[in-house]
Amino acid sequence: MASALASILPQPVYAPSVSDDEDDVRPTVVNQAIITRAVVPPYGQRRGWKPTSQEDFGDGGSFPECHVAQYPLGMGKKKASSGNTLALQVDSEGNVRYDAIAHQGQRPDKIVQSQFKDLVPLFHRKDLDDTDRTMDRPSEEEVQETAEKTRAALEKLVNGKIKAAQPKNVPDSQGKTSFIRYTPGQQNGASALKQRIIKMSEVVEDPLEPPRFKHKKIPRGPPSPPPPVLRSPPRKATAAEQKEWMIPPCISNWKNNKGFTIPLDKRLAADGRGLQDIHINDNFAKFSEALFVADRHAREEVRQRSLMQQKLAQKEKASKEENLRLLAQRAREERSGVVPKPTAQTEAAMKSSLAAYGSDSGSESEAESEDSAEDEEARKIRDQMRQEKRREREREMRMNNMGQEQRAKMLARQQNRDISEKVALGLAKPTMSKESMLDSRLFNQESLSGSFAEDESYNLYDKPLFHGSTAAAAIYKARGNIPEGNEDSFGGGTEEGIGKALDNDRFNLGQARVGFEGAADQEIREGPVQFEKDTGDVFGLNQFLDEAKTGKKRGLDTGTGGSRKRQQLEKADDRE
Amino acid sequence: MTTVSLPPLDPMFRKNSKRTRDVFASESDDVLQEDEASARLRIAVKINDEYRDFKELPSALLSQQGTVGPARPRELTRKMITAAPVDANTSRMIATIDKTPQAQPSTFSSSTKLSQALTLHKTTRTIKPTYHPPWKLVRVISGHLGWVRSVAVEPGNQWFATGAGDRVIKIWDLASGELKLSLTGHISTVRGLAVSSRHPYLFSCGEDKMVKCWDLEANKVIRHYHGHLSGVYSLSLHPTLDVLVTAGRDASARVWDMRTKAQIHVLSGHTATVADVKCQESDPQVITGSMDSTVRLWDLAAGKTRVTLTHHKKSVRALAIHPTEYSFASGSAGGNNIKKWKCPEGAFVFNFSGHNAIINTLSVNAEGVFFSGGDNGTLTFWDYNTGTPFQNMDDVPQPGSLEAEAGVFCSTFDQTGTRLITGGADKTIKVYAEQSQ
Repeated sequence: MASALASILPQPVYAPSVSDDEDDVRPTVVNQAIITRAVVPPYGQRRGWKPTSQEDFGDGGSFPECHVAQYPLGMGKKKASSGNTLALQVDSEGNVRYDAIAHQGQRPDKIVQSQFKDLVPLFHRKDLDDTDRTMDRPSEEEVQETAEKTRAALEKLVNGKIKAAQPKNVPDSQGKTSFIRYTPGQQNGASALKQRIIKMSEVVEDPLEPPRFKHKKIPRGPPSPPPPVLRSPPRKATAAEQKEWMIPPCISNWKNNKGFTIPLDKRLAADGRGLQDIHINDNFAKFSEALFVADRHAREEVRQRSLMQQKLAQKEKASKEENLRLLAQRAREERSGVVPKPTAQTEAAMKSSLAAYGSDSGSESEAESEDSAEDEEARKIRDQMRQEKRREREREMRMNNMGQEQRAKMLARQQNRDISEKVALGLAKPTMSKESMLDSRLFNQESLSGSFAEDESYNLYDKPLFHGSTAAAAIYKARGNIPEGNEDSFGGGTEEGIGKALDNDRFNLGQARVGFEGAADQEIREGPVQFEKDTGDVFGLNQFLDEAKTGKKRGLDTGTGGSRKRQQLEKADDRE
Repeated sequence: MTTVSLPPLDPMFRKNSKRTRDVFASESDDVLQEDEASARLRIAVKINDEYRDFKELPSALLSQQGTVGPARPRELTRKMITAAPVDANTSRMIATIDKTPQAQPSTFSSSTKLSQALTLHKTTRTIKPTYHPPWKLVRVISGHLGWVRSVAVEPGNQWFATGAGDRVIKIWDLASGELKLSLTGHISTVRGLAVSSRHPYLFSCGEDKMVKCWDLEANKVIRHYHGHLSGVYSLSLHPTLDVLVTAGRDASARVWDMRTKAQIHVLSGHTATVADVKCQESDPQVITGSMDSTVRLWDLAAGKTRVTLTHHKKSVRALAIHPTEYSFASGSAGGNNIKKWKCPEGAFVFNFSGHNAIINTLSVNAEGVFFSGGDNGTLTFWDYNTGTPFQNMDDVPQPGSLEAEAGVFCSTFDQTGTRLITGGADKTIKVYAEQSQ
C-alpha cells in the first residue's frame, strides 16, 4: 500500500540519498498521531486520584482536594542543581568513555593514561600496529623544528623575566609635551568664545620612588586534577613481613611499659639485689692488716731513729757546753789575773779547746824556742778574747743605760719594724693604693664600736694595752737576758720561741730544785703581772683616821710593834 | 709385453677425486663448491624422505597457535625438531625449496572468541636478545672522602668528573684514572654533575641548594642559579638549547637559562622530592622521576606536564634515556621495578624484571647495554631491547668499609659506551669494561 502511494506521489525535492523502510514509514506515523488526553475525574469524584503528569493540570491550577505536592506548570518546583556530572560519552565504536572525567578540564594536548591498555606491554597490545611500536628517534629536521619552537617560547619568557632586572624606560622629562587647541563651549555668552592653546605635559616621575601600591601576591590556583593511578594499591603486609619489621620494645629498669617511673623499692626488689649476699674477698682484710702492721713497724723505726739522733745531739751538745764552760772559766781566771798552774786536766782541755782555733799544739817535750812561740801565740789569742769580752760588756752596759726611746728603737729594729734604714736605701715605698692605706686590722674592733656607746662610758683602759701581742710578751719576759740585739733574741718574737728560750738551760744548771718560796704552787704566769685593785687600807689611812678620832697617841702604842717583832722571831724559829 | 693390465682410468680418477675431497673437505667450502642444482636436488629429496610427515604441525597445535602466521617473526617458527646449527647457505636453500605457507588456518580450529583471545595472548612478540659480552671490574679509584653521588663524562672522553659527600668535585683522567683536579665550593654533598658539550662549562648541584656553573678554562665558579628551596638532587643539560634543568627536594624541577641565570620555568606538579631529571632534544624534552612514585613528561615550551606515569609502586629514583632509541627507562624499588617507556607519549613498553632492590641508578649505552645499580650493591646488566638480564654482579666494597657500604649511587657510560663508571657508598669510583675474548 505504502509503495503504491509512493508511486503516485511525485518525487520529493530533498530526498535522502539512502532510504530505508523506516524512513518511509515515519511520515505516515506522524500524520496519524493520536493525541491522547488523560482524563481528569470531575470535581467531587477525585478520591483516590492524584495528578501524575503535567497534563493533568491542563492549563494550570492545582487540585486542593488531592493532598499531594503539586507543581502545576512546574511552578514552585525547586530546580534540580545543575551538578558537575558529566554527560556520558561514547567513542566511535560505541564504547563508553569512562576516562572522560580524567580528561575533563585538562589541556587538549595532555595525554592521560587511564585504561587497562596502558598497563599492557607495548608488544601485547592489540590496538596498535607496527608503526606505533617503532621507537625511532625523530629526524634531524624534526629535532631542529622542536628546538626552534622551544627556543622561541623560552626566549620570550626569558626576555620577560630579565626585563625586570634591566633599567626601566627612563621617562624623558620634557619630551612628552603636546599642545592642544581648546575651544570652550558656549557657557556664558559670547565672551567665552575664545580659543586657548593648552600645553599638556606629563608629570615628571621620580624613577627611584618606591611603588605607591602594595604588591599583593595572588594565591596559587588549584592544582591540576590528579592523574588516574595505574598501580595496584599497596598490599597488606603479611605476618612474616610484619614480623620482620617488628622492633622489640625497649625494656627499661626505670620506666614501666606505660612510661611511668618504677618505684625504687620495686625496682630494687625486681633487681634481686637483696637476694644475693655480698662476699668480700678475704684478701682485702689481709691486705689492710698487712698495711697496718707495716705502718706501725715503720713508725717504730722512725721513732727509734729519731731517739738515737736526739741522744747523739744531746751528747754533742753536752760536750760543747763543757768546752764552753772551760773556756769561760779560763777567761774568768785570766781576768782576775791569777793564772793558776794549769793542771794536766785543764791543760788537756785547753789544748782541745784551742784546737778549734787552728793552733797546733806541741808535745810537752818540745824545745824552748817553740815554747816561747807558743806562748806568744797564746797571748795573742788571749788578747783577742779579752777584747771581745770587753766589747760585749760595753754593749751590755750601753743596753742597760739606754733610754726608753732608744730601747724602743732597738726593739723596733729587732722586730723589723724600724724601716728608717730601708727608707734611706729606697727599698721601702709607701703603698700606692688608697684602700690599703687603711689598716683593716682597725676595723671591726670593739674599741671602734665603743664610740657608739654612751659618751659617759669610760672604757679606754679596761683592756690591757698589749693584750696578746708578742711585743708585750717580749717586754715582760725577756727583760733581763737580752744577750744581743740579734734576730734570735726573744725567740724570734713568737711566744713559743720565747718560752723555749726561757726554758733553755744554758748553763746546764737544771731545773732549780728549790725556787722561790711559794712560787711552786703558783700557777705559771704568762703575761705581765696582773695587779688587783686593793680595796683594803693600804696605808692605814682609815685606821689612822680612826685612831685620830679616838685621840690616842702613836708613841704610846707599843703592842702592835712588839707583836710584829715577836712574829718575825717565831717565823725564824719555824725555819730552823 | 707391456700389456700389463692397467686398471681402467675412469674409476681411479673418480676414486682419486673422492680422496681429494675427503682430504680437503675440512679446509674450506669455497674450494670444493658443490654444484648448486645437484645440492638442491639432494636436499629436496632428503627433506621429502625424512620430514614429509612433520612438515606441518599437527592441527591441534596449529589451532592453538592461532592465525597469525605471516606476521610472526622468523625466529619464532616453531619446528618440531631443531637440527644442529646449520649454515646460512643451507637454510636459504631450504627456504627456497619449502614453498609451503608457514601456517595455514586449520579448518577445524575453534573460532570462539575466548579461545581466540587466549591464543592471541600467547602470540607474544618476543625479540631474540642480542649477545653482549660480559662486563668486568677493571679499576677501582679511591680518592673521595664521602659517598660518590654523581658522575659525568666529558664529551671529549678525556676525563670524567665525580661529586661526593665530601663536598668536592674531582676530575679524573679517564684513561689512567689519575686525579687531575679537585674543585671545592659546595658546602654539602654534590648530587649532580653535567659537562656541557657546547660550552667549556661544568655544572654541578648539591644538597646545599646551590647550582653552580664552573668555567673549565679558569676552574672557577662563574654562575650560580639561585632559587631552589631545598637540596638539589639532579641536574640535566638540554642537548640543543642553552637551558639547564635542575630538580630537587622542593618537589619541583626548575628550568634555567644558562646565560642570564633566569629561571624560565618551575615545573611543579610532583608532590614529593624529584629524584632524577633527564633532558632530550625532542618531545618530551624533560622527564622527571619523583619520590611520589610518578614519572612526568614535560612540555618544555609551556612548562606543563604532558603525561604522568603512575605505574611505579615506589619512589622513582633513576631515569635513563637511550641515546639512539626513542625510549627511556625508569627505576624504583621492589619487584618489576624497572620499566621501559616509548617516548613521545610515554607508552609502557615492558618491565625489566629480576632486579629486586632499590634502584639508585640506571644507564644505557648505544649498543643496548642497560645497567641498573641497586642500593644494596647489586648490579645487573640487561639487554635493553628485550629486557633480559645477561649479567648479575655484586659490588665489592673496598677493604675497610662496612658491609652496608656496598651501594651504587651513580653510574654513566663513557662516550664510547665501552666503559661504565660507577660511584658507590664505599667512597670509591669503579670502572667496568666489556670483557673481550
